[in-house]
Amino acid sequence: MKAQQQIPRNALGWAILSMFTLVLPHIERIPPWVLAVYLFAAFWRIMVYRGRWSFPRWPVKLGLIIAGFAGILLSFRSLVGLEPTVALLLTAFALKLLELAERKDAYVLLFLAYFVVLTEFLFSQDLLIVLVCVLNVVIITTALVALHRPGDDRFNLRPMRQAGVMILQAAPLMLVLFFLFPRIGPLWTVPIKSQQAKTGMSEFMSPGDVSRLSRSGEVAFRVNFEGDVPPRSELYWRGLVMSRLRQGTWSALNFYEVPASQRRQNEPEPLGEPLRYSIIMEPTQQRWLYGLRYARSTSSGIMHSADFRIFRPLVIEDDYLYQVRSWPDTVLEPELSAWRRRIELELPDGANPRTRRLAAQIAAESASPAEAVERVLNLFTREPFVYTLQPPLLPERDRMDAFLFDTRRGFCEHYAAAFVIMMRAAGIPARVVAGYQGGEVNPVNGTVIVHQFDAHAWSEVWLEGRGWVRVDPTAAVAPERIELGLEEALAEEGSFLPDSPLSPLRYRKIDIINKIRLRYDALTYSWQAWVVGFDADKQFDLLKGFFGDFSARKFAAVLLGSWALVLVPVAWVLLLRRKTHALSRLDRLYLNFCRRLESMGVARKAGEAPRDYALRAQRKIPRLAEQIADVTKRYDQLAYAEGASQDGELGEFARAVRSIR
Amino acid sequence: MNAAAGTGGDSKLLTLLRKRFRHWINSRIPPSRVVTLNQRRIFIFPSKVGLFFGVCLLVMLLAAINFQSNLSYGLTFLLATLFIVAVLHTYANLSALTVRAVHARPAFPGQLTEFELQLERSRQKEHIGLYLKWPDSDARTVSLVDEDQVRVQLHAPVGRQRGWFNPGRLLLESSYPLGLLRCWSWIDLDLHALVYPRPLPSPELPGLAAETPDGAAVPVEGSDDFYGFRDYRQGDSLRHIYWKGLARGQSVQVKQYAAYADRSVWLDWEMFPGLGAEQRLSHLCFWALEFDRAGDEYGLRLPGVTIAPDCSERHREQVLRALALHGLEDRS
Repeated sequence: MKAQQQIPRNALGWAILSMFTLVLPHIERIPPWVLAVYLFAAFWRIMVYRGRWSFPRWPVKLGLIIAGFAGILLSFRSLVGLEPTVALLLTAFALKLLELAERKDAYVLLFLAYFVVLTEFLFSQDLLIVLVCVLNVVIITTALVALHRPGDDRFNLRPMRQAGVMILQAAPLMLVLFFLFPRIGPLWTVPIKSQQAKTGMSEFMSPGDVSRLSRSGEVAFRVNFEGDVPPRSELYWRGLVMSRLRQGTWSALNFYEVPASQRRQNEPEPLGEPLRYSIIMEPTQQRWLYGLRYARSTSSGIMHSADFRIFRPLVIEDDYLYQVRSWPDTVLEPELSAWRRRIELELPDGANPRTRRLAAQIAAESASPAEAVERVLNLFTREPFVYTLQPPLLPERDRMDAFLFDTRRGFCEHYAAAFVIMMRAAGIPARVVAGYQGGEVNPVNGTVIVHQFDAHAWSEVWLEGRGWVRVDPTAAVAPERIELGLEEALAEEGSFLPDSPLSPLRYRKIDIINKIRLRYDALTYSWQAWVVGFDADKQFDLLKGFFGDFSARKFAAVLLGSWALVLVPVAWVLLLRRKTHALSRLDRLYLNFCRRLESMGVARKAGEAPRDYALRAQRKIPRLAEQIADVTKRYDQLAYAEGASQDGELGEFARAVRSIR
Repeated sequence: MNAAAGTGGDSKLLTLLRKRFRHWINSRIPPSRVVTLNQRRIFIFPSKVGLFFGVCLLVMLLAAINFQSNLSYGLTFLLATLFIVAVLHTYANLSALTVRAVHARPAFPGQLTEFELQLERSRQKEHIGLYLKWPDSDARTVSLVDEDQVRVQLHAPVGRQRGWFNPGRLLLESSYPLGLLRCWSWIDLDLHALVYPRPLPSPELPGLAAETPDGAAVPVEGSDDFYGFRDYRQGDSLRHIYWKGLARGQSVQVKQYAAYADRSVWLDWEMFPGLGAEQRLSHLCFWALEFDRAGDEYGLRLPGVTIAPDCSERHREQVLRALALHGLEDRS
């Protein structure tokens, strides 16, 4: 083993440090015992480092490896999937530390560490997480540099400078590669994040579901309009259309429940100028997307359903960016098919008898379906209905009867469901629509931030000649919810974001906190739009915008050109600048003296002391013996004398040198 | 790794390639006592670790593609470009470094010789983890961090042949800062170690029998009579210094012993008739060492070389050098 193959202690210190910064962003998704293994391995390695303990022998190592595998299998019930993989990687990382003796072990450990950083990005691409990960990369690279500085026996920061400089130089090259590297689809299916909880709206809606969601201050998605932002009372973000009521729960129709002839969207004639906007969704682990009515998307891989929703065949696991055009005034489905009419009128037999009786009565009194809609909405306005985030529990049977006639306190889903049931009972096709309503306009960059607490449910009724018409019974009960948002609507109740006392959203009234929050949100938006949401479409647009038609030759030219732009200056700084550090005038003069003697046939040997050289020269050139002795004596005096040499003395020295000829 | 130092027994093609390579590298890095590393003299290539790192990058790229994760792309590209930037940094670690041959210690066959080099930097920048090795020598790793120059001693066995021993080309290697690239140079420092003939005892010194008492091979030390003092001259044997006088504060004096004119021995090429040249040199070498140890004056007569009798360290070196280089060219 070469002496240089040992691991300097400094490198070991950095490796152990990286071990802890690596686990930080993963901490919420690994079982606690992995942390224990971590601490144990670090402790053992530190004891080895201090010479107290020795490295584990192979049976111990084997035991630890088997225990690690078993532990992960027990914790996750599987070895497949991202979370078990990450736990496995982290355990392997901790155990590898226990056999870190030679340089080649360190390479394996540190490359593994880079991979662990990468796995973090498969879970979250949040800006703060990315900062932590960049720090991790710096620390790992520092450990790698420290590994090649032999004899560094104490923990020190010296290698960090080298690592930092190199990463800074690599960063611009990385950006070029990032934007130019062709984006291709997945090569094979990969394990999905099995443990990740679905967030946002769910496919099922029973009373209480939306209100539960409204307790969260998380962001659902951000919207960037090309033109002006429409008034917030128009911002109904349709996500799910729920046509089926079963046991008090509304749900969307499954794909296979729709007959083949009804699956295609009956594309309506778009009316008027479209709204153009792009949406970046936070991961939901669901398939549907949000859009204003009547939405069509130009992004690839987005489907349009027969009930005028947009969705994606793939689950949204990461931040997802898509472009939408909406024509709000379009008449949707002027002709209703028999199957669709039947579905949208279906009610469970016998449930909610009082509601149905009331609806039938209203229908009988109305001249047209439109009038029936008005009458029911009037009912909500007239009677003492209360809009609340804390509605009383409803009985299992005949919930809507209990709500409409007894409790009369509910959240949007109560009103939407009650309204649709009454419509259907009155013979008007109707359905529940779930999504978000409103949003906060960020003055920093003009985006609309839609939070989870903007979750909303409303209804659509089908009217002859007008197609599907949006009716929001909540607006009849609590118009401020639609005009101003949830916080204002709940101002009296004081129940806004009850579970997150520290959410900055609660302190929107405090100017400085709000400004910081909005700035950070704008930053997050740009981050998501430019980095996280960068895909083949966006790449194509970007390259086309820059270079017009894009050919392979141009691609290579841009890549090489931009790299040269970075690498040439770096090479210049590294290799050419900082030339020979200036010799002092004294040394220059002495070298002049040596050159003069060399021309007379006495060259100074490597490492020859001035005095020895002088003796040799004197013997060879006796006529100059005195001058040579003089120069050498003066040089010794000036070079080794205390304090700086005087200009006058240097002048005399120069004259003495010149006398050698 | 070391194509320069070829060993026999390979196919003709390989030998030819070796020869070609040696020729090529000799023209590229000609032998010199002082070599400053520049782009003609530095080679750089990904190391094994670098290749392993490349495989890791490929796996990371696959993960990025399959999970469609842009930040994973970003990290993979950052590490890939780090690799590229490392080319410059690894190269810069060797570039502008000056290697100077200082000296090579003479040695007897089969012994280790010591080569001394000096590494100097010409720019105010660090050179870290420089690995130095001759094909058969031990290895050293040095760094130039705060100091501008550093001396390095390497030890190598000199082989069986008297004369000049050439250690071959010096390997100067470094993989700082990341270890992903190996940067190296093969330098011929034109450094030769003198190898003396192997001392070969002979039972007696022919032609000296008359002068040597009772035929003993080794004259016993101190058998000569004390004669007087004289001032110390450079090269006098330490054994003859009058230490007591020195301790008393007198100037450095050397004890002189009575040396009869006919006691000054001549070691002569003609003393061993009928023997081969190498054997003669070996015997002469042995006797020169013997007389030196005894403190007797001895002279040397070789064809074309005559060294007058004397007894000092400088004299011994002169004699051994003459013996080592008999029939060979003197290089310095």
